[in-house]
Amino acid sequence: MDLTPRPSDDVAATPRRKRRWLPMTLIAASLIGGGVVVTQFLTSAIDYYCNVDEIGVREGCDSDRRVRVQGVVEQGSVRKEDGATVFTLGFNGKTLDVTYQGDPGGIFQECISVVAHGRIAAAGFDSDRIEVRHSNQYVEKNETRIDESNEEAAACSLLVE
Amino acid sequence: MAVRLRAVNISTETRLSTGTVATRRLGALAIVMLTVLAVLALIISPEDVNQGSTVRIMYVHVPTIWVAYMAFILTAVCSATYLSGRNRSLGWDRVAGASAEIGVLFVALSLLTGSLWGRITWGTYWVWDARLTSTAFLFITYIGYLAVRRLDGTQRQRARRSSVLALLAVLEIPLVHFSVRLWRSLHQEASVATGGTDVELDDLMLFSLFFGLAAFSVLFVWLLLHRQRMLYLEDAMSSQGLDAAIEARRKEAVR
Repeated sequence: MDLTPRPSDDVAATPRRKRRWLPMTLIAASLIGGGVVVTQFLTSAIDYYCNVDEIGVREGCDSDRRVRVQGVVEQGSVRKEDGATVFTLGFNGKTLDVTYQGDPGGIFQECISVVAHGRIAAAGFDSDRIEVRHSNQYVEKNETRIDESNEEAAACSLLVE
Repeated sequence: MAVRLRAVNISTETRLSTGTVATRRLGALAIVMLTVLAVLALIISPEDVNQGSTVRIMYVHVPTIWVAYMAFILTAVCSATYLSGRNRSLGWDRVAGASAEIGVLFVALSLLTGSLWGRITWGTYWVWDARLTSTAFLFITYIGYLAVRRLDGTQRQRARRSSVLALLAVLEIPLVHFSVRLWRSLHQEASVATGGTDVELDDLMLFSLFFGLAAFSVLFVWLLLHRQRMLYLEDAMSSQGLDAAIEARRKEAVR
């Protein structure tokens, strides 16, 4: 029995034609999108940052190239200078002075882990982007348990990994 | 959830609605649980010492990716069952497809809520770190899976192609989940499923989070039941077209 589809002016044929190119376009877009993610971003995603003590020591953390440096903002080190935010990043016994033009976003504060993007300069590290790393600890803000005077210190001890 | 079936006369035994008494009760339960979750998340649960109220996004963000993982694993299980089964019932394929659709929706929600949380906490909407990059890749993969399901072919061809793809795609889930442990990531490590006994959340936060997981799981089951029934009706409509063509040819042959 011949079941070959016959030419027809049936309106039902219209959506079927639409169906053919839409999935093909989506598959092509998925392949291209997946390829771009893998080739452009996966390498840097796997090694997202260098720790402060690895600058100039570890492969990929060379001091003469643009790097992302991770460390903890040292307590008492944050100050403002001509619109810039200056602070010291510390990790594993090593420190790095960071200068960032503007106010870092997020929940930037002392004793918190951050990733600074930029380059090593004569006076430290010139950063043009700051990302705050939040730890996996979630602690209730309890006014009766932690008063304001020691809240900062408590937060500091909680956030340093 | 009603389905428009005016154009096609599906057999009289076929339901004109995807709802049953059980799904209506399940839907009501989902509404109640989500309402309680909203109260827990927005009013009762405390602020975080560091994030303040931003922590409340977690009660949606974590359950949405939980549902997505669950959905994709179910897709893989149903696909494996279809490929290994003797009678190869298309019902398995329909559940797999419905589950993947819901999974994609919930990954999108997870990416959206995570992005909002990231803007407030990290200071940026998006970074190409291990967790976010692998999640984006997971999202793209399952969009591709859904597109493959829409390619031309018979229902059996669709089931075979998509089942194989689902079994490959599900391998990304452990990669996404453990990416924060395997590599250096801006995204924090897990607070609950840490692999040890330590739980890094205060009691009420933990309760709200688990309640959120339960509420979104109920929502997932409700959506899945309706969606797989809709896919059944779509398949029935498609089959009816073929049946009509065969019938027309038979009549011509008789003449």
